[in-house]
Amino acid sequence: MDRYQYLLLMAACLAITLPLEFVLGARVYRRPALLVTALVPVVVAFSVWDIVGIWRGHWSYNPLYVSGIDLPLRMPLEELVFFVVIPVCGLLTYEAVGRVLRIVRSLRSGANADA
Amino acid sequence: MPEYTVLAVVAVLVTIALERWSGTRLFMRLQFWLAMAIVFAFQVVVDGWLTKLSSPIVLYNLEHHLGVRWPWDVPVEDYLFGFAMVASTIVLWERAKRSRRADPEQPPAVAHDHVEEDRWTQGR
Repeated sequence: MDRYQYLLLMAACLAITLPLEFVLGARVYRRPALLVTALVPVVVAFSVWDIVGIWRGHWSYNPLYVSGIDLPLRMPLEELVFFVVIPVCGLLTYEAVGRVLRIVRSLRSGANADA
Repeated sequence: MPEYTVLAVVAVLVTIALERWSGTRLFMRLQFWLAMAIVFAFQVVVDGWLTKLSSPIVLYNLEHHLGVRWPWDVPVEDYLFGFAMVASTIVLWERAKRSRRADPEQPPAVAHDHVEEDRWTQGR
């Protein structure tokens, strides 16, 4: 089980942010074309960075806590998952904050109209 | 300067250039900075778990970063890495949203999706 630790951590990030989509109405997963457009350049750029980092010896991964599935150029599967999951969490947060700000503003302008 | 440190600073500079090029003026909006503050708080926890020296998932070579770790064992360069990754995603997302809206081939954007400028940035 330990070798799925990194993947489980990523799954936890997705689980924790899921209510932002379905409770706060972030509408990130429901705009898949937009999501892919925003994600692809980031995933590519950060994968290149990761591969350079591995190649130059900036960092490495503890074999105890990764699945052992390697992508080409020695990038662990977990890193690709990370470059998808964390930006998605960021977008969900950004859209959810936008929703909350709009609700606050409309409440405030409603209160002003009543006064 | 260590290589990871240099690359992390470069990544932030590229992100700033991307924001300027995109014309989204995202760095002037409260929504963006509030979201980044929340992301930062969660990064501390997730990254703290990934990098803790007692049983690390990711191991950093001391030769290639400053060696400043806070809190717990998170290398400070990771915050620049995280900022660059999440901020550039939001910039590209906003940019794609706007170009889609401007494209007559696409259905009109839904009402709640319109662009708002934040009042706090007025006068800047």
